[in-house]
Amino acid sequence: MRSTAIITDFLANLRMWYRSKGTVFWSIAFPILLMLIFGAIYQGQSDLTISLYVQDLDGSEISAQFISSLGEQLKIEDIPADVDGDEYISENNIRAALIIPEDFGEAIYRVQQGSNESISLSLSLDPTRESINGIIRGVVGGTLHGWNNEITGSRDVLIYQEKSIAAEEFKFIDFFMPAVVGITVMTSTTYGTIFRNTKYRKWGILRKLSTTPFTRWEYLISKMLFMTFVSFVSTFLIILVGVLVWDISVTIDVYLFVIVVSAAFAFSGMGMIISRFVKEEETADSAAGAITFPQMFLAGTFFPLEVMPSYLRSFARVLPLYYVNEGLRDAMIYQDSSGALFNTAVIFSIAAVFFVIGALVTKWTE
Amino acid sequence: MKKKDVIKVEGLIKRYNGITALDGISFKVKEGEIFSMVGPNGAGKTTTVEICEGIKKPTSGTIQLFGEEFSTRSKGTREKIGVLPQEFRSFERLTVRETLKYYSSLYKRKRDIDEIISLMDLEDKKNELYMNLSGGLKQRVGVGMALVNDPELVFLDEPTTGLDPRARRGVWNAIKSLKEEGKTIFLTTHYMEEAEYLADRVAIVHKGRIVGQGSLSELISDHGGHYSVVLRGFDISNIEILGEEASVDSEQNVSIPVHDPKGISNILSKFMQEGVKFESMEVKRANLEEVFMTLTGTSIEEEEAAA
Ligand SMILES: Nc1ncnc2c1ncn2[C@@H]1O[C@H](COP(=O)(O)OP(=O)(O)OP(=O)(O)O)[C@@H](O)[C@H]1O
Ligand SMILES: [Mg+2]
Repeated sequence: MRSTAIITDFLANLRMWYRSKGTVFWSIAFPILLMLIFGAIYQGQSDLTISLYVQDLDGSEISAQFISSLGEQLKIEDIPADVDGDEYISENNIRAALIIPEDFGEAIYRVQQGSNESISLSLSLDPTRESINGIIRGVVGGTLHGWNNEITGSRDVLIYQEKSIAAEEFKFIDFFMPAVVGITVMTSTTYGTIFRNTKYRKWGILRKLSTTPFTRWEYLISKMLFMTFVSFVSTFLIILVGVLVWDISVTIDVYLFVIVVSAAFAFSGMGMIISRFVKEEETADSAAGAITFPQMFLAGTFFPLEVMPSYLRSFARVLPLYYVNEGLRDAMIYQDSSGALFNTAVIFSIAAVFFVIGALVTKWTE
Repeated sequence: MKKKDVIKVEGLIKRYNGITALDGISFKVKEGEIFSMVGPNGAGKTTTVEICEGIKKPTSGTIQLFGEEFSTRSKGTREKIGVLPQEFRSFERLTVRETLKYYSSLYKRKRDIDEIISLMDLEDKKNELYMNLSGGLKQRVGVGMALVNDPELVFLDEPTTGLDPRARRGVWNAIKSLKEEGKTIFLTTHYMEEAEYLADRVAIVHKGRIVGQGSLSELISDHGGHYSVVLRGFDISNIEILGEEASVDSEQNVSIPVHDPKGISNILSKFMQEGVKFESMEVKRANLEEVFMTLTGTSIEEEEAAA
């Protein structure tokens, strides 16, 4: 194993890569465009009617009346009275909720009788939606103000205490960003491998290399180093756009690294296997497309699998990209370490199998 | 001083699932010479070269490079050979200089890149991307690539096929300069002029066999006659009056081999006596083309057209 040859091959690949507009487009510009376009499309898609979840622990006529006055300006959704309010909010990804305390009606009655207590309602808001929160605060505050006037004429009897919703609310772009990493690693490694194997064989480069002291393993190592490197460059830029433009909070941990490396190996292995059957350089692109496009659309990249029919959902489970996407989501966004571990293990095993088969079927000479 | 055999091949046979590509080929390439294998498409040139290079395995036969057997060939052999495969294309997006540096980094033995650039007459193009070079320049880069390890033996498989005559000259000059440096060169071509111009010794291959080999003058004196008299506009139905050795080419010209210059006047006086009619007559020095015709019964153009 001679490192100079490996390094030269790596650097030569890097040079050829940045000189080729097509590859730079697919590994850098394309994922960034996807992030910007899809982020913008789904950004604008907030509800026109603003919902407020209300849990009425009081259940009195007065509380019902209070809720209906809020309902003049907001769409009111119910939280059942018999559940833990905070838990329900986080489990159901609720972004704005008001909890009316148990003795709301009674307390108002007591104040009217002369008690000088005040009554506190709890308002939970998602801190990432500040503009909408302003509207909700205005409506809740205004309604309380009106009621206070009626009850005592001046004093703030009814007040609200604001809480921010701790559980993260995931947006489309949170779901989408890891998949952009997945499809970019998939396309750049699959296309790169099929392109190189087919063209270099056709052009005589592999035959030429086989007459030099450069070995097939050295060649393979430098190509994998290169593709892993490009995969990380793409991943880094995608995360950068996600964080800077869409304010995504991304977890960078060991799973992310293992998944990206495994994906690079798995898809290169797949590319090597495919290029065994691709004889002409002209068909290299369509062969690469044939294995990347179905995965792109069927492995839950653009829409969650839950919205797909069940036969497509089961089909997705045989696609390597599915595990890459799911694993990256679990690791980078959902912080679901058991999911991340499972998906990482699956994609790692796929990588091991595909890469070994791919390396064995790639021959320089007969 | 007796020159060493750099390549020694005996009884080489190669079959591809039933097709016999090489049917018992034997030859030697001596140190410092340009050995050229000439033959039409499909004759078996590339198969022979690639077996010598170690890319393909022979079905049977012995192949020695620098005295080493094929089966026990050491990795060090690769350090000593330089190869330009047939129809070779290198990385599109590396410059000439980067391409040469790339291949150079693969070897322990090295030769100065700029020296190769000047030897191949590529100074003006050294910073040009490979993909933007003309066919002739690409082939010169290809020959240059075969020199980065300062090899003792260089294989060039049809280095000028598809090039226009000027570009071909450029590649020929590059090959000549290698020869002047004392390199041993194994060259294949289907251009007879190329072998005539460059080769010290020639092997004519046809259908997987070597049908004749030796120096140019040996081949011509053995199989071509020294001169030939070519008649245009001769009525070929009377060909028997010209004797056994007369032959007709594709343009209906008749050629009669003449083994020594005196024979020419004999033929002329015979024409006078018998009243042979023709439009014009030309005396040609025999060339490899005729040797090929004599040995195979067809011309290389006809072979290629049929292939
Ligand atoms: N990999 C292969 N599989 C099957 N047949 C092959 C293979 N390679 C070569 N052949 C056959 O072997 C014969 C010799 O081929 P080869 O390439 O050695 O000829 P060549 O003299 O180099 O011809 P050209 O001038 O076209 O390069 C041909 O009939 C060819 O079809
Ligand atoms: Mg050939």
